[in-house]
Amino acid sequence: MKHLGEEELIEQYFSKGAAGFGQHLDACAQCAEAYAALRSDLDEMEFAAPPARDPAYGERVWQSIAHLLPAYETPKRSWLGIGLWKGLSYASACALLVVGAFFAGSLWEHNRSRTTAGSNPPQAPEHAAPPQQRIVVVVLSDHLDRSERLLVELKHADAGSEEMVSPLRDEARSLLAANRICQQNAAKIDDPELAAALGRLDHLLDELANQPGGVNSATITRLQEEMNADGLLFQVRVLRSRIPDQQAATTAQSKEGTI
Amino acid sequence: MLSMGKNDHETIKAVLEGDKEAYGALVVRHSQSLFRVAFRITGNEFDAEDVVQEAFLRGYQKLESFQSRSKFGTWIYRIAVRCALDRIAGRQADDSSRVAEEADPEREQVQVADEAAGPDRLLLSGEIGALQDLALRSLTATERAAFVLRHMEDCTSEEIGAALGIPPNAAKQAVFRAVRKLRGRLAPLRVMR
Repeated sequence: MKHLGEEELIEQYFSKGAAGFGQHLDACAQCAEAYAALRSDLDEMEFAAPPARDPAYGERVWQSIAHLLPAYETPKRSWLGIGLWKGLSYASACALLVVGAFFAGSLWEHNRSRTTAGSNPPQAPEHAAPPQQRIVVVVLSDHLDRSERLLVELKHADAGSEEMVSPLRDEARSLLAANRICQQNAAKIDDPELAAALGRLDHLLDELANQPGGVNSATITRLQEEMNADGLLFQVRVLRSRIPDQQAATTAQSKEGTI
Repeated sequence: MLSMGKNDHETIKAVLEGDKEAYGALVVRHSQSLFRVAFRITGNEFDAEDVVQEAFLRGYQKLESFQSRSKFGTWIYRIAVRCALDRIAGRQADDSSRVAEEADPEREQVQVADEAAGPDRLLLSGEIGALQDLALRSLTATERAAFVLRHMEDCTSEEIGAALGIPPNAAKQAVFRAVRKLRGRLAPLRVMR
């Protein structure tokens, strides 16, 4: 059996048995004897007790040091006169209020549109295109309008005039992304004529927008010739005029579109 | 050890906002407990009173760094222990410079009687307590403070470590060393009991 060292005995004494050596001390007479001696020594140590201080002692201490203490300066209030946590609380409350107002508004708007729909008589299916589908048509229509204008300007552009070419290039860049989306949508709704026209338009817009080193007079001339040869302007006008007739069909098919 | 309510925190807030007199309430409230521990560590009434004053002065100067999460009583208690430690460490250094094997007037050294070597004389005069106090004074400042806090103030190793600014294990070792030395010094008493 391994005997306890003095440190373990001291720990046992000061922890009032909580050190966990009690079982060993019960079983080992030698350690029990050593522990008894230690306990006797420590228990019988009688050091001088602190002399009593009268109740006024604290007051006397204060009087002896009070004149040595400078008063702390009163802290200046922040611009809001509130602490950091209070400020954060107010900010959180404001944010909560804004979010709450947003949701309340959304709910109110939703209820209102439902009420409006309920009070209006149901329209015939051919005129009852949902708003999302209408947006698709409007976008395509708008895109063809803008493309038509661009092509007209390109047709009559003076190839040597930088002042004319630069806005054309900017407009082509602006139309390019929309054209590609319309192209994807045309493929989805399976409209080969529209897709083909938009494909040719894409080629022209790309040439106009991304010509390395900028658009020069030769490029403009070439594009004008290509445009005339393809009859692109004419095709765009035809497609543009077809839109109102195709509205119902196009929008019905573009339900699954991504525009 | 010490238990203080939220009144202390309110008082500290008032002090930090410029009400110096409010600190008086804290001094009155905690002076007794500080004196007790200061006396036990220094073993001297006058030193203990100085320690109490110094602790409250230091406490006031550092009041802005006081964390409101902790108790003011515990915080000022630790400051008092440090002050007492400084006091006895300084006194021991002063004493050691004045004690030599042979008297040397030029170095202001004197010879003192080895009182620990004559327990019979002390016993005969009924001064067992004085011998024990002498044994306590023979400890280093850290050992003495650690022993006092453990044996008389019932502090844990963690509390002692925090008060003395040392790790808990070092505090525990200081207590072990103190007990070992005291038992060695007081062994003659054991024979005579």
